[in-house]
Parts: sequence; C-alpha cells; structure tokens
Amino acid sequence: MGVLVSLRWWLVFGVGMCLLPLVVSTGTLRILVFAQFLAIFAMSWDILSGRTGYISFGHPFLIGIAGYTTAMLTYHLGVPLYFSIPAAVVATMIGSIFFFIPALRTRGTYFAVVTLAFMEVLYHLMQVVQPKLTGGTRGLSGLPTIILGAVPNYYLSFGVMFVIGVGLWLLIRTRLGTALSTIRMDEDAARSSGLNTTKLKLFAFMLSAFVAGIGGALYTHYLGSIAPRGIFDISFLFSILIAALIGGAGTIVGPIMGAYFLTLLLEFLRPYLPGPERYLIYGAITLLAYYYAPKGFHNIFGLLWQRLGALGRRE
Amino acid sequence: MTDLLEVRDLTKRFGGLTAVRNLGFSVSEGESLGLIGPNGAGKTTVFNLIMSELRQDSGELFFQGREISKYPTHARVKLGIARTYQVPRPFGEMTVTENIRMGMMPDDLWQMLTKGPQHDAERDIGKDVGFSEREVAMYPGELSMGNLRKLELARTIAAEPKLLLLDEVFAGLTVGEIAQISELLVEKRKQGLTYIMVSHDLRALAPLVDRVVVMSFGAIIAEGTFKEVIADKKVREAYLGQ
Repeated sequence: MGVLVSLRWWLVFGVGMCLLPLVVSTGTLRILVFAQFLAIFAMSWDILSGRTGYISFGHPFLIGIAGYTTAMLTYHLGVPLYFSIPAAVVATMIGSIFFFIPALRTRGTYFAVVTLAFMEVLYHLMQVVQPKLTGGTRGLSGLPTIILGAVPNYYLSFGVMFVIGVGLWLLIRTRLGTALSTIRMDEDAARSSGLNTTKLKLFAFMLSAFVAGIGGALYTHYLGSIAPRGIFDISFLFSILIAALIGGAGTIVGPIMGAYFLTLLLEFLRPYLPGPERYLIYGAITLLAYYYAPKGFHNIFGLLWQRLGALGRRE
Repeated sequence: MTDLLEVRDLTKRFGGLTAVRNLGFSVSEGESLGLIGPNGAGKTTVFNLIMSELRQDSGELFFQGREISKYPTHARVKLGIARTYQVPRPFGEMTVTENIRMGMMPDDLWQMLTKGPQHDAERDIGKDVGFSEREVAMYPGELSMGNLRKLELARTIAAEPKLLLLDEVFAGLTVGEIAQISELLVEKRKQGLTYIMVSHDLRALAPLVDRVVVMSFGAIIAEGTFKEVIADKKVREAYLGQ
C-alpha cells in the first residue's frame, strides 16, 4: 500500500512536469534540462555512494568514459547514435570495474581519494594520449544531437530521469535495496549475516555505471561537444555530490530535489550576481542547508508531511 | 556423535604477538561448548578465525568434514555457522524485523529483487527471542542492552545456523535478562542447535555447556567438564594469578 501511495506522488510529479512546457518559457526549459541531467548523475552517485557508503569522488570518470566513447564513435566513425549510446553505456560499465577493484581493499576516505585519482588520470590521459582521437585539450565538437529544440530535449531528459528515478526508487524498496544499505551501516556485520557483500558492491557499481553511462552519453549529445575541462572538473563533481547530499543521500528522490534546487538557485542568482560571485552565495546556502538539515530536503519534507498528517488526524 | 566443527593447529599472529597458538578442538553435533579464559586469551580471535573475519597464519578448519579454511564469511554462514558479537552490531537504521530480515537473505540477487520479505517469519523469530509486538517495530537505538543482545541472537537464528558462536552473550545484562536468554538457548539446543559460548559470567555459562575449553595467551590450558576445569590448578592460576 505504501508503495502505491508513493507511486501516486511520482505520477503527480510526472504529470506536472509534462505540463510545465505549457506554462514556462523555453529558456526555463533549457535550465531544467541541465537540472535533469544533474539529477541523473546525482542518482547514479546515490545508488553507489548513498546506498553502500563507498563515497565516490570520481563520478566524472564514469560520465567521461560514456561521453568520450559515444563522441569518438560518432565523430570519427560516423556510428549512428542508437549504436554509439548503448556502446558508451557498456564501456562505462566495464570502466566501473576500475572503480570496483579498489573497493575490495579500501574504504572511506581512502576509497574516495582513489576514485578522485581516477578522474584526474583520465583528465590528463584524454589530453595527451592520442589527441587526434580525443581532440586533446579542445575535445570534440560538432557531435550529432539526438533531437533539436528546447521542448523535445526537455521531454527527453525528463523522461530518462523519470524512468531511472522510478526504477531506482522501486529497487531500493526491495530486499536487494535494503541489503545494499547494510554495507554502509556495517559491512562486517552484513557479511556475518550471510550477505555476499562483494557481489552486492559489484551490483551497485555496475548499476551506478549504467545510469552514469546513459546520462553521460545523452548529455554529450545534448551539448554537441565534449572537452576534458568540462567533464573532469572538480566543480562538476561537487555539483553532483551536493545535489545528492543536500537532497538526501540514499533516497533517490533526494538527489532529484537537490539537482532542481541547485540548478534553479544558480539561475535565480544570475540577474543579481552575474559574475562568479554567485557561487559564493551558492556555496553558503549549500553549507547552511547541509549544516541544519544533514539528512537533506527529502527528510525535511518527510517530517513536514508527518506533522501535517498528525495535525489532520487531530482535527 | 560426528564432529560438526574441527579446528586444527590454528595460529594467528598480530605482528610480534601470537594471539592464537596451535589451537585445536572440535565440537560435535548437538554439543554445547564453553570457551573461557582471562581477558586477552584469544577467545574472540578464535571466533573471528572461525567466521573468516580474520585469516589464520596456519592451521585448518573443517565443518561437517569439509575444509572451509578458504571460505569467505558469507559462505561459512550459508554452510551453517553464525555468530553474535561481544558488542552488539545491529544495523542502526533498520527496525528489529528488518535486522532479522538480513539474516534470512537468499544468496541470489534476483531473488532478493523479486521476492518480498517474509513478514510473518520475521515477526515469529522476533517473538521467539522474546520481543513484544511493539518492540519488533523499534529501532536499535530505542532498545536496552538486553534487547540488543536478543536482536543479535534473532538475526543469527534467522540464518538457520547449525553452529552458533555466542560471544559474551550475557555481558551487561540483568539477572532476569540472563535467565531469559539462557532459557532461549536451552530451547534452541533441544531443537538441535550446537553452540560455542564465550563468557566471563561463569555462573551463567556453567549450566548451558557440556564441556569447556580454557584458553590462556592463545593456547588451550585445560579441557573437560565445567567442574573439572574449574578445579584445575593451571586454570585457577590463569584467572587468579595464584
């Protein structure tokens, strides 16, 4: 019953977002496209780091593999998108094995630093190894787009985000989702309860890479270009992390909330602070939100909803 | 009776310290064994080695005649060995029943994904160990030490073990709680459960074990019935320093 009630909320959210193009400008829709891609990346981070507690500082590594795979296939070989995008997803999942291997031996901060190193290594490799193939520091541009126009791209990014969101949200409600969270709580106790944590972690890494692969490939074709500075960038990494944390890690819904909040906040600040100083405000608000609500917006809304429910019952 | 678990020449060193030295003992099916010794004797290390939470430097472990020395922890649990911890380690963000659910998990990811939890069985195990209807919905943070120990027991029992390793299961409990857990263990034993119990509470341990192995500085210094080992001079020296 609980799942059905919550699925109703997903439906309300889906219908509401589908009607949005009728009332907002194309400029706003373009901003929302970025929010939706950020939500996909944040959910990818969440299913790995939010659930299992293996904090990834290298998610752009996975997104970059997807982006560069599809970019190189389409740019150099003229491979059609319906082939290059699945190929990029598969390549990302294979690439995630590089992430997974250190997770067998390291945890916590050490794992985070190792993943950060992966991102840095790929950033430099893409510039110096085979620059004719990767486009070097400039990257590759003039890539084919999937569809043209703000409204179709809005629907495409929303549709993909929505399907991934509902899928992951349902998954974390299964016994498998619960088992994944035991790794975050106490991996040794999980093992001594009979859970094969290596298999569970591999699943989480693969699933995270699958989502990052879809997001990375679609994002690259939405932008029509890819460059090392744009993908393997610390502020891009922090946007993903903050979206997940501020929204509520481990909840799937939280990262979606966080992604919309962060993207819209930056845009809201733009008229008042057009320069980079708006990032100061952005940082301060993020810090305050995280300081006062460490479990994220998802938890705040959950508590508010409970209070309202209790109030309604009393009346 | 056939041996359920056999430990052969087990040795574990931590740098220059030998925590377990050429240890060997066995437990038969249906037997209950007490593993006692002063602090630092290596009792918990033995449990960690049996569960593969630590790897031995040398020696072998056999379970139901099968060598399990290279089996990882989860595989040993699936074979039928489970443990409780000296300091209870519940999954803090899960209710009592959800904690119990983790002990009942299948090995197959697809089954985890497609088959829902067995709510009735979870509640039954909870009630079996003495939780009330209200308590099974509680979170570990809301439970007393006695209830946390019961939760540890419930989670391990849910895995349907053939051999249970009980590490200081009476520590921090009231007399009433000790009696309750003792009663539960007696009941489980009647149902065929074999266990090895580590406890400093010798009074509580005595009626629950058939045989006792005494460790000191990583080695066995005495073995026999409770009365025999307590009367042993080496055991008294190890405990009292006489």
